[in-house]
Amino acid sequence: MFSEELKTFRRLGFRHVLLQVLNFASVIASGLMIWKGLGLITNSESPIVVVLSGSMEPAFYRGDLLFLTNPSNERYQTGDITVYKIPGQGIPIVHRVLETHDKAGSISDPVPYQRLLTKGDNNYVDDIELYQGLQWLERKHIVGKVRGFLPYVGYVTIAMNDFPQLKYALLGGLGLLALIQRE
Amino acid sequence: MALLAAIALSSFVFSADPKGALNIASVKVYNVKAQRYPHRKQELAFVNFNVTADLTPLFNWNTKQLFLYLEAEYANAQGVKNEVVIWDRIIRRKEDAIINVVGKNKYNFHDISTTFKNVPPSSYSLKYNVMPYVGVLTYGEAAKTDEPVAFPKVESRV
Repeated sequence: MFSEELKTFRRLGFRHVLLQVLNFASVIASGLMIWKGLGLITNSESPIVVVLSGSMEPAFYRGDLLFLTNPSNERYQTGDITVYKIPGQGIPIVHRVLETHDKAGSISDPVPYQRLLTKGDNNYVDDIELYQGLQWLERKHIVGKVRGFLPYVGYVTIAMNDFPQLKYALLGGLGLLALIQRE
Repeated sequence: MALLAAIALSSFVFSADPKGALNIASVKVYNVKAQRYPHRKQELAFVNFNVTADLTPLFNWNTKQLFLYLEAEYANAQGVKNEVVIWDRIIRRKEDAIINVVGKNKYNFHDISTTFKNVPPSSYSLKYNVMPYVGVLTYGEAAKTDEPVAFPKVESRV
């Protein structure tokens, strides 16, 4: 069954296999570079996020893709949609700012000191219960401000989390393609 | 993909800036038990307002919904600058975009120092966030009170 493939392998030699591996590595490396570069430009640790919950419906549904920025000298305002991460909690949350409280005289600071309270559009109450004992969000908890929106595209990642078989099928398929494909 | 990009870019062409009217009918301050702290008291402000606005120009083919919110902006006695959303509404259809609301605050309105004593007057504004089917989120202001509204003296519960 695989004898033909093995034969071509032997014909092309060890160098060809190495080249294939190198190609693969450069694809992964450039992907990582783009991601980190975006992170640098937007000053956000993850400039693109996938919506995981329905608490911002009907604005954002599960699987929608959001583009974030987090300019350090800009203050957050009410009505802004933020993505925040509470320490000790893995999943980032996408909710809208309900209250801001700026420390006196901190507007001119390079990074203004703000205390924020958020709420999901689809929730009845604010987020204090989600803050795990914190009273307010601070800048250090915030990943970014939502600037752009692309529907459904992120659903692939959710599907892969919900159905792990899909993930393995996709990875296996890609791997097989990379092996079989020859220039 | 190109179509999505074209739609996202097309919404920059539409630049509606509708204006409405906002009137604060009354503000009252009461001293009540604090949320989550059974033995502490804090002052809550109750705001009654009238809003009229025609926001239909904001609806174009890339408008998914409007998020409309009424915000109080003030600096408290310690000089902390505050912005507090006291009312909001999601508008999903063009037919619902003619706003005529006589309402009161939906969310608790209290100061972080627990009191509105000596707090300078607050200005109120009606703002909106246009959320597209695809593309960039935009913000705007539809109305603002002509002059700041003072917080009255605290009343005990009737």
